[in-house]
Amino acid sequence: MSAFTIAMVLSVAVGFAEAKDKVKVAFIGPLTGGVSANGIGGRNSADLAVQLRNADAKAKYEYELVALDDECKPNVGVQVATKTASDKKIIGAVTHYCSAVAIGAVDIYNKFSLPVIVWGAVLPDITYGNTYKEVHRVNGTMINQNDVAAEFMAGQGYKKWVIIHDTTDYGKGHNKYFSEALKKNGGEILATFGVTAEQQDFTAELTKAKALNPEVIYFGGLTPIGVRIRSQMEKLGLKAEFQGTSGIMADAFIAGLGPLAEGIVAFREGAPVDKLPGGKFFVQKYKDQGYAESPEAYGPFAFAAMNLLLDSIEEVGPNRKKVRKMLNGTANRDSIVGKITFDDHGQNTVAAITKYVVQDGKWVVWEDSEYVSGKRKLQGM
Amino acid sequence: MTDKSMDMLIGFVAIVLGTVFLITFVAIESQIEILGLIVLTAIAVVVSARMGISTRISEAFASNEPLMNSAMLLATLVVAFWFREDHFPLLMIATVLLYLTACLGLNMQFGYTGVVNFAGAGFFGVGCYTAAVLNQHTAVPHLLVVVLGGVIAALVGSILILPVLRTRGHYAAVVTIAFGIMFKTFLEVNDTLGGPQGLKVPGMEILGWSFNSNIEIGAEIELSFYLNYVAIGLALAVLAFILTRRIERSWVGLSLDAVRLDETAAACFGVNIKRWKITAFTLGNFLIGMAGAVFAMMLGFIAPTNFAFGDSLILVSIVLLGGMGSPWGTVIAAGLVILLPEKLQAIQEYRFLLYAIVVILILLFRPQGLLPRGLRTYVPGWRG
Amino acid sequence: MDAGLLGQFVVNGMMLGMMYALVAVGFTLFFGVLDVIKFSHGDVLMVGTFAGFSTYLGISALGIDNAFVQLIGVLVAAVCSMAFLGAVIARYLVLPLKSAPPLNVLLITLMLGTVLRETVRLFYPDGSNPKPFPYLLPTDSWAFGSFTLRADSMILLLGGLLVIVGVHILINKTKMGLAMRAVAQDEETAKCMGINFTLIVLLTFALGSGVAAFAGVMNGLYYNEINFGMGLLLGVIGFSAAIIGGLGNIYGAILGGFLFAGLQTIGAVALPFSSAYKDVFAFSVVIALMVWRPTGLIAEKSSERV
Repeated sequence: MSAFTIAMVLSVAVGFAEAKDKVKVAFIGPLTGGVSANGIGGRNSADLAVQLRNADAKAKYEYELVALDDECKPNVGVQVATKTASDKKIIGAVTHYCSAVAIGAVDIYNKFSLPVIVWGAVLPDITYGNTYKEVHRVNGTMINQNDVAAEFMAGQGYKKWVIIHDTTDYGKGHNKYFSEALKKNGGEILATFGVTAEQQDFTAELTKAKALNPEVIYFGGLTPIGVRIRSQMEKLGLKAEFQGTSGIMADAFIAGLGPLAEGIVAFREGAPVDKLPGGKFFVQKYKDQGYAESPEAYGPFAFAAMNLLLDSIEEVGPNRKKVRKMLNGTANRDSIVGKITFDDHGQNTVAAITKYVVQDGKWVVWEDSEYVSGKRKLQGM
Repeated sequence: MTDKSMDMLIGFVAIVLGTVFLITFVAIESQIEILGLIVLTAIAVVVSARMGISTRISEAFASNEPLMNSAMLLATLVVAFWFREDHFPLLMIATVLLYLTACLGLNMQFGYTGVVNFAGAGFFGVGCYTAAVLNQHTAVPHLLVVVLGGVIAALVGSILILPVLRTRGHYAAVVTIAFGIMFKTFLEVNDTLGGPQGLKVPGMEILGWSFNSNIEIGAEIELSFYLNYVAIGLALAVLAFILTRRIERSWVGLSLDAVRLDETAAACFGVNIKRWKITAFTLGNFLIGMAGAVFAMMLGFIAPTNFAFGDSLILVSIVLLGGMGSPWGTVIAAGLVILLPEKLQAIQEYRFLLYAIVVILILLFRPQGLLPRGLRTYVPGWRG
Repeated sequence: MDAGLLGQFVVNGMMLGMMYALVAVGFTLFFGVLDVIKFSHGDVLMVGTFAGFSTYLGISALGIDNAFVQLIGVLVAAVCSMAFLGAVIARYLVLPLKSAPPLNVLLITLMLGTVLRETVRLFYPDGSNPKPFPYLLPTDSWAFGSFTLRADSMILLLGGLLVIVGVHILINKTKMGLAMRAVAQDEETAKCMGINFTLIVLLTFALGSGVAAFAGVMNGLYYNEINFGMGLLLGVIGFSAAIIGGLGNIYGAILGGFLFAGLQTIGAVALPFSSAYKDVFAFSVVIALMVWRPTGLIAEKSSERV
């Protein structure tokens, strides 16, 4: 048994002999499950930032990315967050696409003093619902998104809505903000239905909705449910315009619906990637690195967030509290998504909201589509 | 050296080695080292089995119970102390201890009495949600909350008592499975209990000592706050273990075994089947609920997806893996099932798959489990 | 509520009932023949649907665009491959454990279900995401006021009905069915009568699994979506349905299937809370039924040796 002890001692010694200037940073996102395309796109983008930094000779440290999967489930997210935050070697993290997960995990980051930057979750409460100094966010919140959406759709001439939302905080948030915005714009909400995030069969809700004759079905939720609702609308003969949020802006949504996706509208904060200040640079570098999957809608934000984190570590060193302080003071920082300024809740303001419509199997910016000229018409127009 | 003291020495050495193994296993990070360690240990275990050492170890345990048990307790404390400043290893150890408590409860239900319970995760969840609701909205002292968690789980279980009593075998299984699924679905669609978003659980606080803040001794030493939870987990596990052992060795345990082995014959001998099934089921749920309450306070956040059917299967499998009705077996199985996937990152994704395959293999080739229960001795340690 | 909406719910309920009934028939067949509950049945269904989906991808890749040919190909592939898988499971996992305590068999099949589920999730390309199932049936629909009748729903219902009738004829009017019933009644006597026990068991499992695969393809065609977790809930519901109807009894299984679907539909329509409570409602009624009739509605006649 002494050989065993020797082996144990040796392995520990080898661990000590390695170079000490490695810094670990983490990325958390939904790498499996219905929205994995966005999660993987975000992970690749964050990885791109780390790779580019490691290739830079002027960098002071060598960075290692630890990518973890939160499965878009709150409890898994909390477990993963605990694991990340309790590992003292991880200095900072770029976290979360799913709002439902983020809202549960912020307490953990505060408990363990891990500075994080959110890259995709849009629920306002994540930054505004607490005073944690550890939590920051580079992308916008859903308030702006829904304001613009309500104004746009009412402006198109629609008057009657049925709202379907999922019962996580994400869906409930969308419901709340869109309902408020719609009232201000003179729309009428005929009914509101809450559905569970894994629900398969929507016959009950859609049949009741059909009886009310809505012009638009507003859906606050993510891609898998969006696909099911739209296709079941078709089965029941419910002819209304389908309006979604940033949660359905994924290629998987269109792939799941085929021709049924035509004419669906959705809204997202941030300009389309090629109109971003660093957009073309990002797209080029992403392609050069050779990732198999697309960065999807929020990849640029993940990239910007990771870069910001790495910059902070470069400036103040691998110390969680110092990085946190540095991030809190971020003002007018250049990045590929524009200038980043964190307000007193760590929230960056993203002014632009882009409207998208599905045309010929692709998400197309509204202004560039054939719908704006009237060549094609939305449902019911 | 006499035979008996030789046995004891071997037993002690085994415990020491086990502690060293556990510490190394939890501490090292590199995948290759972990794999190497596992292979080494597997070889050591097989070799010792061949050489008859393991029989001597089990004899040592059987004949010197109080001594050996205290040694195991000490070993656990040593492990906890070693990791006093690292959060994650302590979290894992505390999880093992809490799952152990829950599985001991499950053991009482179907290891001893033969009452199948596929809703173990559901009762665990009842304990969790009790803790969440009581901690957030009332000022009930947290130790009492733990006990209440168990009580409410037992109460919820009593809803199932009638169906469980009236049905047998597969039908009983379906009743518990249906209940487990119903419970999870109910939690998801019901907003008052947080819905799919789950609930935040304030951490434990006993007499002003907050369990959720690191323990600071002087300016240098900052002990992880999970140490608190390890302490209470250990206390619960020890309590559950003692309870299980005592019941097993009493006339209560005899009746439970009789009910499991042959209901008709037991009824003929005057054993009140209904009463014993109810006792075992309720007591088991009580333990599971208590473990759940502490677990919720430790994690700080619970959601319905924590308590799905798959998790119930994990609990049942731990009991089966260790050997039905064998508390020490449950200890080892709980440690294996929880620690192994966490450390072997490479298999993290595949863990459910590998895990299910392992259970299938065990069921096919060694259905008695790792540490089978063995025949009941009328008086422990008695050799005729 | 007006007749049109009611009609919509009725049609939907019947579709669900048909699918549950098909799965329940499988459970009941297995139990009748071997006294075993094969919990992995739902996941076998899922594997069958994925097999059908892969076949569809293969056929389209070959350039064959005719929906009818694709449909036939998908069905044949799914049913045959699952019949084969069912037989393999029977031969290597269930038969050797004939004399083991029922809990062990229960657990082994549960674990097997997990293995199947995880294998698809991990090894099928992009397995953890739901996949769109192609629209292989004609999608014309006729509207009667607020009630929309779709051609594909009708075809699915008809197909399910045909399968059920086919199974009934197979069990009751053919020699093989006779052999199955004999084995279900008394294994030893059947063997004495010259029936090849193992062969019949394998055939029964193949039949049940094939029927389940058909139900899975039906599910895929109806919802136009398949995912790796669809088997779990369907399996539990099918099992509950088989239990309600009484294990070992095919008509009980069919009855149980439709009963469960009916409960779900009533739950969705009549309850004042959101339709998501329908599963809670249905399962609690199942549990209550079990209290009232511990061995199912059409009770199993069993005797126990003391």
